[in-house]
Amino acid sequence: MILKPILVGALLASTTIAPALAQENTDITVVLSEELDLVDPCMATRSNIGRVVLQNISETLTELDVRGDEGLKPRLATSWEDKGDGTWQFKLREGVKFSDGSDFDANDVKHSFDRVFSDQITCESKRYFADTALTINVVDGFTIDVKAEPAQPILPLLMSLVTIVPSETPMEFVRDPIGTGPYSMTEWTAGQQIVLTRRDDYWGEQPEVSKATYLFRSEPAVRAGMVAAGEADIAPQITQEVADNKATDFSYLNSETVYLRIDSQDAPTDDIRVRQALNAAIEREAFIGTVLPEGTELAVAMVPPTTLGWNADLTPHAYDPDRARELLAEAQADGVDTSLPIEIIARTENFPNVTEVAEAITQMLTDVGFNATLRMVEVAEHEQYYSKPYPESEGTRLVLAQHDNSRGDPAFSMFFKYASEGTQSGVNDPKVDDLIARASAATGDERAALWSEVFAYVHDEIVADVLLFHMVGLSRVSERLDFTPTIATNQQLQLSEISFK
Amino acid sequence: MTKMIGQRAIASLLSLLGLMVLVFFLSRLTGDPAVLFLPIDATEQMKQEFRALHGLDLPLIEQFGRYLLDLLQLDFGESLRKARPAIDVVLEAYAWTLPLALITMSLVVVFAIILGSLAAFNVGGFFDRLISVVSLVGASAPDFWIAIVAIVVFAIGLGWVPTSGVGTPLHWVLPVAVLFIRPFGLVVQIVRGSMLSALSAPYVKTARAKGVKNLPLIFVHTLRNGMLPVITVIGDQAAAMLNGAVIVETIFGFPGIGKLMIDSILQRDFNVVLAAIMVTAIAIFIMNILIDLAYGLLDPRIRH
Repeated sequence: MILKPILVGALLASTTIAPALAQENTDITVVLSEELDLVDPCMATRSNIGRVVLQNISETLTELDVRGDEGLKPRLATSWEDKGDGTWQFKLREGVKFSDGSDFDANDVKHSFDRVFSDQITCESKRYFADTALTINVVDGFTIDVKAEPAQPILPLLMSLVTIVPSETPMEFVRDPIGTGPYSMTEWTAGQQIVLTRRDDYWGEQPEVSKATYLFRSEPAVRAGMVAAGEADIAPQITQEVADNKATDFSYLNSETVYLRIDSQDAPTDDIRVRQALNAAIEREAFIGTVLPEGTELAVAMVPPTTLGWNADLTPHAYDPDRARELLAEAQADGVDTSLPIEIIARTENFPNVTEVAEAITQMLTDVGFNATLRMVEVAEHEQYYSKPYPESEGTRLVLAQHDNSRGDPAFSMFFKYASEGTQSGVNDPKVDDLIARASAATGDERAALWSEVFAYVHDEIVADVLLFHMVGLSRVSERLDFTPTIATNQQLQLSEISFK
Repeated sequence: MTKMIGQRAIASLLSLLGLMVLVFFLSRLTGDPAVLFLPIDATEQMKQEFRALHGLDLPLIEQFGRYLLDLLQLDFGESLRKARPAIDVVLEAYAWTLPLALITMSLVVVFAIILGSLAAFNVGGFFDRLISVVSLVGASAPDFWIAIVAIVVFAIGLGWVPTSGVGTPLHWVLPVAVLFIRPFGLVVQIVRGSMLSALSAPYVKTARAKGVKNLPLIFVHTLRNGMLPVITVIGDQAAAMLNGAVIVETIFGFPGIGKLMIDSILQRDFNVVLAAIMVTAIAIFIMNILIDLAYGLLDPRIRH
């Protein structure tokens, strides 16, 4: 019985002929590494969804300029103002239409937030408001007041993470996203492709790309090959092994930071000398140009250099195996059991060559006298070790992890990774907690200065973890396009930034 | 005949039920989908809400009871990741896997039987050796490597076929070709071995003495007797293919059941995993019945 629909489906599916390979001049094809499960605008902060949806289909009130240095720019909001007492007032753009023809106004903004906070739907952007209660007050058609409790100094920045949907959008995931962006989704064939078509009634400047077809191939060699064969124009996230064409392959910092999370509540890593020894034992430079692509930078903070409060005075911990052995010997002399097992937990397919990186680190630690072993696990198991509560162990575990922050502010990283209550934090230090709390609540130069202080304190004073690399992304871009991928390409791929040579 | 099919159907249904119970409980031992669906810094409250929304906070036995009740109404539940009915997701993927398996296996059967029989007839000759070398290489080369090399040579280098994807018949050439190689290598060896013993039977000598020509001798007289072990191996290979071809699907971006199943397992999308396994199992049960019928057709002694 069940076979009949399958057979019919098979027959139908096998006779469907997809659009021909030949492309119009301004149509492009983007080949992504992962298929999208959902295209709901409220999931756009998930990077694989964001690359298609964010600022292409759906727009946000504000937008962070990650390519230049304009900072936070207006998008659907034209201006905003701090009214004090945790309340921000946003003036909205007039004359904007959704792709279904309806007009954009303050009620749409309110509904978009209601939807994010609803318990009927699991919206990804909700996480940015974890401890903040928002009250949205529609003042008039194009003015809203947003009150945050406790006060949220980066509220306008947070607005760059919430996509605006029409007020009729149901409290469940939609399969036909409606937005105010320059493109609308005209086709979604699950498992095969998504097509965005340029709108004629977009409020802003008309982008050059008229149609974008997204395909999904998980094999980097195939993605790169598709651009080489002219089947695609942009292939993000290729690996250095296949990036062999200087004319088409771009490398850029991709906002990911790789580090070893140390649990400083565990023996023997509760001793700072052991943590310093871990840092001194690893020859970070040896990885670059070998198992990691050229251009990879040594990390001194959890966030990439484009982030607010970046501390340019910090230098990476030097590679000094003799010093590492001395530190271990000193600790041992003071009664620290440095022979306790240290298990490194790394996740398969976390980034290209993660196994080689993890193996080399394990070897380097063993060389200076650590009792280190490596265990490669898949994503679900990795998560059990990475997030609290941490499982018991005989000695301790170091979790090799990759953290992404292209949002411009350390607030999206530092609490989670360093505060005592942070989900992935191995630190329990009142001074860190206090600094993070003050930095999160501060504004302007004071905010930058405080974040700078946090970076210095965790890196130099308490040596909280083993920061390793700011990672490089590699993308192949067809020579007919005028487009340079940047740090933002990891989270979004704005079609309006693409033009033709 | 009908009785045989009936008995097989009942036995299959019981195995299917057992399989379902096993997969339902084992998959739930492997981890919490909430952690994988939600971002890594999600709060405990977000995780609770997610579990409540999808009934994952209920006692396991209650979850199972609800699942069974829904299943009786042919409702396989929603996909956690895709927010749509799991069975739709699975059948969509199966609609790609089934023709891929059918086309590939048909080619394997036709080519393996013809070439294997000819090799057996000409045992020790140049053609026989050529077939042996080709089939051994085919059966032992890793398909991910063949797939990538095929793309580099035929799609990027020569530009004869598209690199990957689906759509036009040309898109099917590389996936089918890569998928063809291994079962072909295996089946052709079995055909050759089986035909060798069939060709040495006394009745072949009699037929020759009667003046039967070579081709009818092979394909009319001997082949039917040499086919029984071949059918068994073909059944095995076809079953593997009905499970999806993970590597070929992954490399060629072919939206089949193999990759869907692996992705769903990694993401702990339980309903899709269950639906995929059940649909695959049903397909394999049906195929086994067909194989049994084929045995009976080839050898009347088996019918009873």
